[in-house]
Amino acid sequence: MLPEIVDVVREVQLPLLAALLLFGAVAKTTAGGAASGLAVLLNERLRRPVTVASGLLEAVLATGLLALSGTPGGLARAGTAALFAVSVGVLILARRRDPEAGCGCFGGLSRAPIGWRTLTRAGLLSAAALSTLGLATTGWRVVTDLTATHAVVLGVELVVLAALSPEPRELATRLLSREPCALRPVSSRRTMMRLRSSDVWRTNRPVLLGTEPEDVWRHGCWRFLRYDGMRYGRRVDVVFAVRADGRGRTAVRAVLVDRESGAVAASFGAVTTRELQGPPRKLPRPRAAAKRDEAVRDAERQARALRAAREHPAARSAGGRDADTGQLA
Amino acid sequence: MSVMTGRGSDRRRLTAAVLGPDAVPEPLPLSDRVTRGVVVDATSYMLCLATRRGEERFLFERVTSFWKGDEVDPTDLSPGDDAVVLCSHDGRLVAERVWAQPARATGVIVGREGEELEIDPGHGRPRVPVVVPYRSSGRIGVRHPRLEPGYVFDAIGVWRDGAVWATRPATTQPPYPLHATPHRPPTLQYSGTVSGIATWYDPLLGRSSHLDPRALANAAAYPAIDPVGHGQGCDRRTPCAPLPLLSTGATLRLRNDCTRDATVVPVVDCAAADSWICDLCPACGGQGAGRIASLTMTAFVALGGRLEDGCFNATVTVAQGEG
Repeated sequence: MLPEIVDVVREVQLPLLAALLLFGAVAKTTAGGAASGLAVLLNERLRRPVTVASGLLEAVLATGLLALSGTPGGLARAGTAALFAVSVGVLILARRRDPEAGCGCFGGLSRAPIGWRTLTRAGLLSAAALSTLGLATTGWRVVTDLTATHAVVLGVELVVLAALSPEPRELATRLLSREPCALRPVSSRRTMMRLRSSDVWRTNRPVLLGTEPEDVWRHGCWRFLRYDGMRYGRRVDVVFAVRADGRGRTAVRAVLVDRESGAVAASFGAVTTRELQGPPRKLPRPRAAAKRDEAVRDAERQARALRAAREHPAARSAGGRDADTGQLA
Repeated sequence: MSVMTGRGSDRRRLTAAVLGPDAVPEPLPLSDRVTRGVVVDATSYMLCLATRRGEERFLFERVTSFWKGDEVDPTDLSPGDDAVVLCSHDGRLVAERVWAQPARATGVIVGREGEELEIDPGHGRPRVPVVVPYRSSGRIGVRHPRLEPGYVFDAIGVWRDGAVWATRPATTQPPYPLHATPHRPPTLQYSGTVSGIATWYDPLLGRSSHLDPRALANAAAYPAIDPVGHGQGCDRRTPCAPLPLLSTGATLRLRNDCTRDATVVPVVDCAAADSWICDLCPACGGQGAGRIASLTMTAFVALGGRLEDGCFNATVTVAQGEG
């Protein structure tokens, strides 16, 4: 039983190492940013080429682990073991040179300072690569003939690796925590999709004279789009405001502004901050209703409105008119 | 005086129509205490300046000070010099401080030839030739140890023969080149009020300050311009202060944390170079890192800044108008 499990453990290392190397290769060749790992020890001009070259080497070794067996496969496995062993030394030197530098093992994801966990991980991976020497199978064959035992061993090893790696935490932070909408860049394509799927757009579509916005600008969470429009024979600016976050259906507002007078002709999509009364399932008691109305009433505003109405020329001349019909007596 | 283009003020008006007038307050005019123009005549007791308002004369008091790369005498100002004048509190007749030929080079070094550097300020602005003379090379070198292509440079000096003669550094150079600048960690909290430092820039590059309306503009360039809808292209990076994305035409409430003076300035330009630098201002012991706005020269002086210091601690407020 035990020898079989040992064999399974050895076999599982092949696809696991290949996957890690491929992931590292992609991250190294695509990401830029601050110097980390081996790059810390190098001259500025050499940093990028050496990082890309090490990424390519990792890709070659990963392919070797997956596809080759026999002597070429043995070479790839020995190369992988040597790569990880050398990286332990390089990481120790890099840490001595710059204690803040990340290991750069997975490009920009490995920004946490090099610690004992990163060094232990590199050492263990080197040992794992050494353990695969002499296996007749290839990594790809292990993947295609995966048994339950392989899956269990792979799961346990992934848990150990995750515990030794700072990268999953960084990845989780990136994926789960989103920047506030005011700071987040939003593509114009996304804005247009959100706008065109909204009721506010459909309502105002007949007013618009063109399909493309005349001007686009941003104010924090909101992106504004100005269109030319014609409403009842008058030229208007139709301004849509699309939020960068929030629910798609409620995130669009619009105003129609008369171009000559600058007055707002109509407004769509704004949500009132006042609490609206729900459907009258049960009428409130008269005393409670009166109290609620009293809380909402703005006495000063009412007095102002009444004063304005009395001072209005129409009210002054109403003395000569019939109060009910407005006809001259 | 406002230099907002028709497009900028349209944007402001339409934003206010949707989000309410509080989201984009009306820009305030430049303080009467500051003016800028070309020196016509300078004597030991009076300065005659050609400005956009016409010819203006300023008397000197015993405390009036003059700067032209260093503290100088009034007779060192020569006709043709570009000058910024801060008047005393008592009235517009008496000058309190005069800066002559002030210049600033902020950007990334793209070339070096002996004492001469070439600085790219980003955002399609013309490259600025900078001379680091032997006299100030020690002072510059302490805070800019790597005068090599790829590294950031920010120094204040004077215009001479079409080049900026650097006299003092305006920041401490980061130890890595621009392309290796670390990314800002994700910001989770945002309140609409951001503390940092305000700097200045010269939209005129020291030329025609008596004719150009931008000479007396109370305006700012902003480091977090949204690329969509910004025609000229803004090669900014994510600034290290958590600033909301805006476009030209927006307005900022800006306060000088040292003097407590406040104003409202329109955003008229992209401050690409200021988004590349993440520094502190030692002017009055502030803790906010990162540049939040780059004011025009006169707006900076009007808000209590000293051009030779290059910065002051400031707080910017951008209302979102969520109501």
